[in-house]
Amino acid sequence: MSTLAIFKVKWFWYSILCVLSWGAWALLSKIGSNEIPAPTMQFIFTFGTLPVALALLVGRRFQLEKSPQGIFYAVANGVLSGIGGLAFFAAFRTGGNTSVITAATSLYPIITVALAVTILRERLTWLQIAGLGFAAAAFIIFSF
Amino acid sequence: MHLPPWFWLAAVVLISWGIVGLLQKLSTNHISAESSLIWLVVGFFLLQPLLYPGQALWTYSARSLTWALLSGVFNALGAWALFAAMRSGGKASIVSPFTALYPLVVVLIAPLLLHESISLLQGLGVVCALTAVVLLST
Repeated sequence: MSTLAIFKVKWFWYSILCVLSWGAWALLSKIGSNEIPAPTMQFIFTFGTLPVALALLVGRRFQLEKSPQGIFYAVANGVLSGIGGLAFFAAFRTGGNTSVITAATSLYPIITVALAVTILRERLTWLQIAGLGFAAAAFIIFSF
Repeated sequence: MHLPPWFWLAAVVLISWGIVGLLQKLSTNHISAESSLIWLVVGFFLLQPLLYPGQALWTYSARSLTWALLSGVFNALGAWALFAAMRSGGKASIVSPFTALYPLVVVLIAPLLLHESISLLQGLGVVCALTAVVLLST
C-alpha cells in the first residue's frame, strides 16, 4: 500500500482514533488520580464506559449471541480489567512519571504471549521473541 | 536495587491485563467483538459494590470527577475504534501493533500538559517498551 493510499482507508483512521482515545484515557487517568483514590476512580470510570456499551447494544438491536462460554470469558475479562484498572490508577497516585508508568503498564502483551504459549500452545514468532528482549530491557531500565 | 513505588502496582496491571488479552481472544472465538465489549462492561459493574465510595464521592472536585468519567468514555471509545478498524478491513497483524502505540501520545503530551520531563535513561526505557509492545503484538 502506498503512503498516500493509507490515508484513504477507513481502518487507518479508526486506528488513529483508538490511539488518540487511549492516549487521552491514560492522561485523564493520571489527572483524575491526583485527587481521587484508585477505587473511586475505577468506580466512576465504569460509568464512563456505559454510554459506549449502550451504543453498541443499540447498534446490534439488542441482539447478543447466546454463548455461555463467550459470555463467561468476556465478563471475567471485565472483572480482571477492573482489577488491573485499580492498580493502574494506584500507580499514577504514587506520583511516578506518567510517561514511564504508561509505557511500563502497556507491556501487558508479554503476559498474554506467555499464556498463549503455555495454555493455547501457540508458537512464538522471531519478532515476538525480539519483543520479549526489548520488554526485559525496558524493565531493567525502569527499575533503576 | 531500589524499585520505584509504582513498580509492583505496574506488575499487577501487567498480570491482570495480560490475562485479559488471553480471555479477549477466547471470548471472541465464541462471540463478536462488540458483544465482548458489552459483557466486559457488565464485568466492570460486578466490581462496583466493592468500590462504592459512599458519601466520600461528593467530597471530590467536579473537575476531577469529570476527568475520571471521561477516562472511562475514552477507554471504551478506543476499544470500539479498535473493533471498527478490524471490521473495516484492517488486518489484526497491523492494527494491534499500531494501536499499541498509545503511550506515544502520553510521552508527547505529558511534558506540555503535566510539566513532567523524563530523563534520558527513562526515555530509553520508553523506546524499548514501545518497540517491545509493537513486536509482541505482531
